[in-house]
Amino acid sequence: MRLLTVENLKAGYGPLEILQGIDLVVDKGEIVVILGANGAGKTTTMRALSGMIPRNGIVNFMDHDIVGTSAEAIVKLGIAHVPQGRGTFADLSVEDNLRAGAYIRHDEIESDMERWFGVFPRLKERRSQKAGSLSGGEQQMLAIARALMSRPQLLLCDEPSLGLAPLVTQELFGVIDRLNKEEGLSVLLVEQNANLALKVATRVYLLETGRVVASGSAADLSADDSIRKAYLGT
Amino acid sequence: MERFFQYIFDGLSFGAIYALLALGLVVVFRGTGHLNFAQGEMAMFCTFLVWQYDAWGVPLILAVVLGTVTGFLFGAGVEVSLIRGVAKKSEAGVFVVSIALFLGLNSLAAMIWGNLPPEQMPSLFPDEPNDFVRIFGAVWRYEYIGVLVVALVLMGLLFLLFAKTKFGLAMRSVASNPESARLVGIPTGLVLASSWGIAAAMGALSGTLWGGIVGELTAGLMFTVFIYAAASATLGGFDSPGGAVVAGLSIGVGEQLAAGYFPGWIGQELKLAVALLTIFVVLLFKPAGLFGTSKVERV
Repeated sequence: MRLLTVENLKAGYGPLEILQGIDLVVDKGEIVVILGANGAGKTTTMRALSGMIPRNGIVNFMDHDIVGTSAEAIVKLGIAHVPQGRGTFADLSVEDNLRAGAYIRHDEIESDMERWFGVFPRLKERRSQKAGSLSGGEQQMLAIARALMSRPQLLLCDEPSLGLAPLVTQELFGVIDRLNKEEGLSVLLVEQNANLALKVATRVYLLETGRVVASGSAADLSADDSIRKAYLGT
Repeated sequence: MERFFQYIFDGLSFGAIYALLALGLVVVFRGTGHLNFAQGEMAMFCTFLVWQYDAWGVPLILAVVLGTVTGFLFGAGVEVSLIRGVAKKSEAGVFVVSIALFLGLNSLAAMIWGNLPPEQMPSLFPDEPNDFVRIFGAVWRYEYIGVLVVALVLMGLLFLLFAKTKFGLAMRSVASNPESARLVGIPTGLVLASSWGIAAAMGALSGTLWGGIVGELTAGLMFTVFIYAAASATLGGFDSPGGAVVAGLSIGVGEQLAAGYFPGWIGQELKLAVALLTIFVVLLFKPAGLFGTSKVERV
């Protein structure tokens, strides 16, 4: 089932147009990865999809046209965005971060919280600590758990590995993979760490200066020599 | 000894009013990161409104409620119409707007109500000369007790709102990270407008309580209270509601003790300078205030 259809998406900041017309789709149950160098427009794509910046083109999510929809309303439709740099509420407790994540919902909030504490046991240990006192990896887990509290259909994850140690990154991707396989969560993931991302991805888009320059299954792109050279360093 | 208790008690009542106004400053600062210089004048204007409603024959309690609601709408309206647009463009712009609001409201109040003989603000509490009890030899006027109790109850309610309600969670989230607040679906614009509304409503109440103590309403009603409130918020930390309360009460008591025990060289005239000196010293040695958080970010 098609979850998200994006055609000719254009967006930027003021007069600076960064996305020159992006096409992509996400099906239910997929982990779709967007690869690209710095400045390719990966984060801008994510911000455009979650309604944080003005954008043009076609963005269709579960039969809703959301190209002009506000960020608050997009969350309600079922897209949760884990921003680059995590964006946790640093001076709120871990629990309050999760409660804020469930802002659009009214019931079963505490039971959902316990459920994600089961998936992220280290957050449970630190449930009453301020988010700002957590390690980078824990904050990334918290940012993901907070996004899941809205019970999204689609999780946008912007470079979760940023600033994390390799082991922590591996653990994180393990969790994302598990959420996808066990909970059927659909994920659109932006990454610079191509090696790791390709292992969990069902499909991949390659972005260069605001355009999709290649796309295909993870296996296809890993097999392409020029892509291997540019993004995998082998 | 009874002098001492008298200063402490008077100080607590005055301090509670400073704390209320300071809480308004803190709520705005946490929400939008601005110091609202017009906080005192907005309170003064709302106090005149309460007086006006009362003069029109509205029962006093209802007049206070009406004045507070008007204050809320006024504060929210100021954020939406004046602050929001300017804040996007420049921080200094917000400063100028709040100064303009300060002067504008002051002149407007003087224009509307200034030509009348000084208005007698009705007190919410019994305030005849013999309405008091003696505790530890000190005079506890019913009015002062009432002010202290009402202010403390209001602060308690505000803390419950912050800590226990969904709206409070939204306010704290927006204060902490406005962008992430939008990402979890919090209507940040509504939250910010409400923050200004709540601050102005607190101001309206502190003005009404203060007007009852002073008795006479003038356009300068809240001027000194604002200086004390600003000192309280600075001392307690601009992002700490608890700090504002503790600091407000302390400054109220400190002011009474200083003026009472050193009538010769501080007295009533110089006690405002003590508040300004407090701001100066705090900013010099502990800019985040006693209970405020200095910005440290882990990356």
